[in-house]
Amino acid sequence: MAITTRPPTQRPQPGPAAPQRRGRPARHRDDGRAGYVFLTPWLIGFAAVTAIPMLMSLYLSFTDYDILTPWSEVKWIGLDNYQRMFGDDPAYWHAVRVTLIFAFIATPLKLGSALGVALLLNRSFRGSGLFRGLFYLPSLLGGSVALAMVWHSMFDRSGSINAILGWFGIEGKAWVNDPDTALGTLILLAIWQFGAPMVIFLAGLKQVPNELYEAAEVDGAGALRQFLSVTLPMLSPVIFFNLVLETIHGFQGFTSAFVLSGGTGGPVDSTLMYTLYLYIRGFANYEMGYASAMAWVFLLTIGLVTVVLFRTGRFWVHYSDGDD
Amino acid sequence: MTAPRMLRGLVAAVIAMPLALLGACGGDDGSGSDGKTELTFFWWGGEARAKLTEQALALYKQKHPDVTFKTTWQANQGYFDKLATLTAGDGAPDIFQIDDNYLAEYATRNVTEDLTRYKDSGKLDVSRFPESLWKYGVVGDKLAGMAMGENTQGLVFNKTKLAAARQEPPRTGMSWEELISWAQRAGAATKVAGTMDPSADYKALWVWLRQNGKEFYTGNQLGFAKEDVQKWFELWKGARDAKATPPADVIHEGNATDITKQLVVTGKALTSWVWANQMPDIQKNTKDELGVVAYPGDPSAQWARASMYLSVYRGSKHKDVAVDVLNFLANDPEAGKVLGTDRGLPSNLDIRKQVAASVTDPAMKASIALEDELVKKFGASPSVPPKGHATVKTELVKAAEAAQFGTATPAQAAEQFVTAAQAAISR
Repeated sequence: MAITTRPPTQRPQPGPAAPQRRGRPARHRDDGRAGYVFLTPWLIGFAAVTAIPMLMSLYLSFTDYDILTPWSEVKWIGLDNYQRMFGDDPAYWHAVRVTLIFAFIATPLKLGSALGVALLLNRSFRGSGLFRGLFYLPSLLGGSVALAMVWHSMFDRSGSINAILGWFGIEGKAWVNDPDTALGTLILLAIWQFGAPMVIFLAGLKQVPNELYEAAEVDGAGALRQFLSVTLPMLSPVIFFNLVLETIHGFQGFTSAFVLSGGTGGPVDSTLMYTLYLYIRGFANYEMGYASAMAWVFLLTIGLVTVVLFRTGRFWVHYSDGDD
Repeated sequence: MTAPRMLRGLVAAVIAMPLALLGACGGDDGSGSDGKTELTFFWWGGEARAKLTEQALALYKQKHPDVTFKTTWQANQGYFDKLATLTAGDGAPDIFQIDDNYLAEYATRNVTEDLTRYKDSGKLDVSRFPESLWKYGVVGDKLAGMAMGENTQGLVFNKTKLAAARQEPPRTGMSWEELISWAQRAGAATKVAGTMDPSADYKALWVWLRQNGKEFYTGNQLGFAKEDVQKWFELWKGARDAKATPPADVIHEGNATDITKQLVVTGKALTSWVWANQMPDIQKNTKDELGVVAYPGDPSAQWARASMYLSVYRGSKHKDVAVDVLNFLANDPEAGKVLGTDRGLPSNLDIRKQVAASVTDPAMKASIALEDELVKKFGASPSVPPKGHATVKTELVKAAEAAQFGTATPAQAAEQFVTAAQAAISR
């Protein structure tokens, strides 16, 4: 159908510019059509499982929806959910605090580990490929439940961590079960999964032209100077990319907290991450309207954090424009 | 076709698609013109329960060839998430299993069919049930579910370890102080903490409250005051200080509802506070031999609790058939024989007698013996916990753990719990 609408071959006609110009938009239109046809499955999917549910949840965030009541009986309560969240729910602010602590400690340490190991693995030596693979492995297992369970048993009272501490005469405790240390074990687990940013750092390091190092060396720069003046600036777009990605990731921590605390955020709310609290409100307390409001505030907050990161990026992210 | 028109068509398709899908979901009622009825049936449990349930349903099918079943089951974890989601999509199963943690949530929102008229007409026969047991399915003035088995609070203890250290076992009727000092002695002798600290356990608190003339709930209100909870927390702080219980981080493990994490199973305490019908399951998870007695104090504070219910979805298109299936599962002798005590002691007393006589599993026998002993002493059943109970339970765990870890005094923890619990049930 698309082909028939195209005017018959115009190319041999050396006529004035006008018809040619008329022909070009037509072809653009054809391309567009074909594009939409190919996009159709995705568009349908996007609407059905992303756009419409999102709009629904926005609507629900202004209602007292509890899942079990039919839609027709849902009551519009205006901003009540938002008011309650900000003014009348101490657990909400507690969850915000836990999430911020988690994100702001785990993210920089994770990126630091990723960059450090990437620098070590950047040169080629026997088995470097194997090491890269091994360090990447935990990330592949990323959000898996099995990994969180392994972690739980490692940091349990009778776990391997305490066995190792025992060699040094230190008596351990159940780190995952103590409100003082439970979040710490979650942070460790997040840091340990530094493989994905590491691989991206490795790719970035490969892009730094060797001549820069040679020039720096000629100028008498030592290893540290080279790292600070060549590697870091050249790598800054990659660091920026990883920072944005991992910060968002950090905010969204859920699986490990869910598994390690048995879905409760315990002991004594020490691992009550934002998303976990949202889940508990929605599915255990049947306050889906409230949970939806939480989700929208969460979305806006992450959006805001990302914007702030992009703003600060202007000052320290260095894009080589090809001339230097 | 021009581009804009095509685009418009696409947009229309995108909007129409989910509607069409929704329509497809709701349109089919499952009963064709050939007189066949398909019932959906959803429960939580393990593989053994699945096998028994399928067998019992096969018996029903033999007698009613026009009825077929579409069964789904899964572990307890995540079960109520799934049930809620199905209900939200108007796709709740015709028959589903539920317990008293959630019965009021579903009943007050009219998800469950009111079975009163079926009970009155005898289509759902509860005449052989203990009265307090079927009444434990009444929420407001509606019969929201049929009790599919009975259980009661049970204190499970490790016989093997006690015998090895020549310690006498706990017994029904000992006071709370007696139990704690017993736990102290037995713990010292066996090198295993004497008892799990049950201060986070609502059913232990409930029994204790009843012994002190209070209730956990009176209607839709809390039946106790801050001072009661404070006393309760102080009782167990004393027990912890006296080393009758394990340290807080170990207690936290036992606060999980998962049976395999009970301290009597993991060998970290000599006793656990459970439901008596969980005995066989707990026994399966440990090599040591276990016994069971009532909670401390006067056992008349305990009651015949419906271990779980079967409810019929109010939106079901086959309510009559669904109720008939419920009636069959509870009252048919053959079905009773197949189901055994898997969901608790059978509700129908005739069938209970018949099943009890044929039980061979020693753990189940112990559980039945306890129930038999207590059945004469049981107090009246309280009303089913109100809407918000699931939240109250988690708030209790939170507050009790704050006291256990020492981040709050018993008084502060009690205050925190009562405030949060009140908020949870008044929403």
